[in-house]
Amino acid sequence: MENIASLMHGFGVALTMHHVLLMMLGVLLGILVGVLPGLGAPNGVTLLMPLTFSMDPISAIILLTSMYWGALFGGSTTSILFNIPGEPSSVATTFDGHPMAKQGRATEALTYAFLSAGFGALVGVVLITVLSSWVAKFALRFSSPEFFAVYFLAFASFIGLGGSSPFKTVISIMLGFAFTAVGMDTVSGSLRLTYGIDELIRGISFLVAVIGLFGIGELLLTMEEGLRFDGVKARVSPRKVFETLLTLPRYWVTLLRSAAIGCWMGITPGGPTAASFMSYGLAKRFARRREGFGKGREEGVIAPETADHAAGSSAILPMLALGIPGSATAAVMMGGLMIWGLTPGPMLFIEQKDFVWGLIASMYLGNVVAVVLVLATVPFFAAILRVPFAIIGPVILVICVSGAYTVAGASFDLWLVLIFGVVGYVFKKLDYPIAPMVLAMVLGDKAEDAFRQSAIMSGGDLSIFWSNGLVATIMALGVLLLVWPLLSLVVQRLRPSRDVGATTA
Amino acid sequence: MMMKKALMAATALVAALGISAAEAAWKPSKPVEFVVTSGAGGGTDQFARTVQAIITKHNLLDQPVVVVNKGGGSGAEGFVYGKTAAGEPHKVIFATNNEWLLPLVAKLAFKPEDLTPVAAMAVDEFLLWVPGDSPHQDAKSFIEAAKAAPGKVKIGGSQSKDTDHILVKQIEKAAGIKVTYVPFKSGGEAATQLAGGHVEANTNNPAENLGQWKAGGVRPLCVFAPERMARGEPVVDGKGWADIPTCKEAGVPLEHYQMPRTVFLPGGVQQDAVDFYVDLLKQVREKPEWQEYITRTSQSNRFFAGEDFQTFIKNNEDEGRAVIAAEGWLVN
Amino acid sequence: MSTNERSLVSRFAMEIATGCATLVAGIVVVLGAIEYETGWDEGGPQPGYFPFYVGLIIIAASLGVLGQAFLNHRRSREAFVTREGFARVMAFFLPLAAFTVGSYVLGLYVGTFVYLAGVMIFQGGYRWPFALAVAGGITGFFFVLFERWFQVPLLKGPLEALLGIY
Repeated sequence: MENIASLMHGFGVALTMHHVLLMMLGVLLGILVGVLPGLGAPNGVTLLMPLTFSMDPISAIILLTSMYWGALFGGSTTSILFNIPGEPSSVATTFDGHPMAKQGRATEALTYAFLSAGFGALVGVVLITVLSSWVAKFALRFSSPEFFAVYFLAFASFIGLGGSSPFKTVISIMLGFAFTAVGMDTVSGSLRLTYGIDELIRGISFLVAVIGLFGIGELLLTMEEGLRFDGVKARVSPRKVFETLLTLPRYWVTLLRSAAIGCWMGITPGGPTAASFMSYGLAKRFARRREGFGKGREEGVIAPETADHAAGSSAILPMLALGIPGSATAAVMMGGLMIWGLTPGPMLFIEQKDFVWGLIASMYLGNVVAVVLVLATVPFFAAILRVPFAIIGPVILVICVSGAYTVAGASFDLWLVLIFGVVGYVFKKLDYPIAPMVLAMVLGDKAEDAFRQSAIMSGGDLSIFWSNGLVATIMALGVLLLVWPLLSLVVQRLRPSRDVGATTA
Repeated sequence: MMMKKALMAATALVAALGISAAEAAWKPSKPVEFVVTSGAGGGTDQFARTVQAIITKHNLLDQPVVVVNKGGGSGAEGFVYGKTAAGEPHKVIFATNNEWLLPLVAKLAFKPEDLTPVAAMAVDEFLLWVPGDSPHQDAKSFIEAAKAAPGKVKIGGSQSKDTDHILVKQIEKAAGIKVTYVPFKSGGEAATQLAGGHVEANTNNPAENLGQWKAGGVRPLCVFAPERMARGEPVVDGKGWADIPTCKEAGVPLEHYQMPRTVFLPGGVQQDAVDFYVDLLKQVREKPEWQEYITRTSQSNRFFAGEDFQTFIKNNEDEGRAVIAAEGWLVN
Repeated sequence: MSTNERSLVSRFAMEIATGCATLVAGIVVVLGAIEYETGWDEGGPQPGYFPFYVGLIIIAASLGVLGQAFLNHRRSREAFVTREGFARVMAFFLPLAAFTVGSYVLGLYVGTFVYLAGVMIFQGGYRWPFALAVAGGITGFFFVLFERWFQVPLLKGPLEALLGIY
């Protein structure tokens, strides 16, 4: 195959000592920015950008993408250890990753997270390698109705069986929607729900909300129960990491399903954050044993991590091939491409073969380097947990608050994060589910924009949402997932008892 | 052309000489903050970061330059931030004509006069684009098709009640047609939507559509400028920017629609500081990297400061206001 | 939470309070939405459409929660928080709130230093020199990290201006 030959050529370009060193530098820096909430890959890119001006484009993009991988990995570390998602896309990892850490299984959780993330990333890259031209064409078929359908599908697969009162789930979702509506409305160009408060013009940042709801809310709960971090009990040993590695193949169904979801959400504009939620939701829904999710199930870590990274790496393709940045980081990287004199777009693959395939080859290597390096940092982070709580607790808080500030450089967000912290605490104690609110904040305004753009295109006619095969299929899948809990109930009635397989044991 | 070059050299010389005097009067005493009124990766962001890179690379400032993105609310966030920093010459605001148009369409605690104009460093052109496989070979046939089916033709653009939307409204008026405007988040999104054939046209800036044009996904019909664009490298099949007719030639009498790349300081700063930045920006323009940025993004390299800039703002605002008022978007 | 700790706020009271709070939030959203058109025209839903119904749903669901609270929690003597638990939360939350207010006024670096040192000395029982050294070290590291490496300016206060750092 032509692509394979190109890839081999790409390896020839990427595999030099110089480039491998750059990858290591990029990954380490990425882990650092990924670990700090608020700081993310875009900040790292800013830091490195001046450095890259004197490099050739391939070295430069290798450095930048490696940092991106590093940041994705680093984000999961704090999710698991401190319940603070370092990156938006690692929110779903907190659901089971943090409970695992609390049970003293931090090493296992981290190892699962990193390995499945590495697996997801590799699947994403393989997809790019094999299907690059097809994927680019496929992505062009997406317009606003299809975008809306994708968001709907992501939402439908996560929402559903709530443990507690349905009223509370509804409130949580709707509050999330209300938060995303604050600020500038793309479709009408008017400022909504700002009540004349200047600070609300930019909207309510998803990250600030998450830092408050999860990070501070969780710390308050921990304090009330008079607990300390228990993650220290298990000593980290390479042996433990290795043992965990050996158990990973047991979860092959979850791995494959999550990787597929991630690739899908990466190519369509769903993005890594939505992918991780969707994957978590489906892992829970399809699990033979549903209990234990949210209390430290391995699949609860594997599913979001695999999907997150599969989406993160496959999203590079639309960026290169179409010039649409899927995230802020991609946007900054695209700016970099242009500064180096490359125009992202379909011609990049034809005019700059060395660059594109060198980059794709570096994605294989970069992810391997990232998995190795990030595993090597596990003992270091586990050591952090051994620092007395009187020191590390306040330091985590300081990181939360400073992180919230760096999101927009606004002192108003200091109050906001405090308020969200209290809301997170109260909601958790009263069994209001928080995750649906977060997902609503991720997808809400995008979904609303897509819906209204579609309506403008069709002149207000809703049939646009089943006007072609693609959009109709996605919508149908979404509806199916929404009613799935009912269906499965019916199925269970019809077929009383069935043997429980070993795949999820 | 020669005259222009000589003039440019002269200004450079004056700037070089003038800088020592300006330095004596005012110079930054702490890190300078570049406030970008768009998100990371947007046109204004690239503009600001290019200026920052040139300043850093050529050591034009003793103090470090920090870029901060405040693009919330279509840039309103950055403007309000600039307003609250009144009297602080260490914050420089990078924008477009949204500085004076945005307050017309959105209720903001901000008026254009709240910032001190420094300079406009380039102007970006707008073109009419169609998908690569569109039956329309020129603007005329496109307009006729739009006339035949009022409200059926969809034109995509970035944001609502913003530059693209205003332009589309002006096209409607000038050509006597009625179209449906579809607002997307960014020019990049509008470009892919056009290449995918989901809208019939867009009004993107050159840099936003360049990649898709090269690949045959989109095609330019005409440029909204008084004269054709500068000849650069040929883009597709030997055709380049200069081969695109003006829209006036093509029968759409709209020739003054450009977006300036502007620089502001907060209100209430001393004139010395304004002069300092005008000199600094003039030095930036002299560097090869600036020229490279202009060429790559196919913008026009123009520089307005002082009176000229004020006049530019006045004219541009009046034109914008007319459309905005006619559409009933005016909020105050 | 052990059962012999005394209840400070009952679960029932807190359910009612939260239900009322979300009810108010719903009303606020509806009020914000009706500043714009909430209908549906030839261009589809207008800007206020979604927020308006989102607000209405919040109101309805809040009423549902209030109803459920009366049904499920009224008679139960379940505690939302005990005196002891509340004291522990406050011992953590009050310094945090003070840190936020302090940072707002004095800048994040000064706030961080004072907060870290204060918590270590008064709650952690560390000796002064050690606490000051650790707090100073962490603050200094943050300064280099944010201001120099990543060029992300954090909130500064009067002290930095006095020193001429920013």
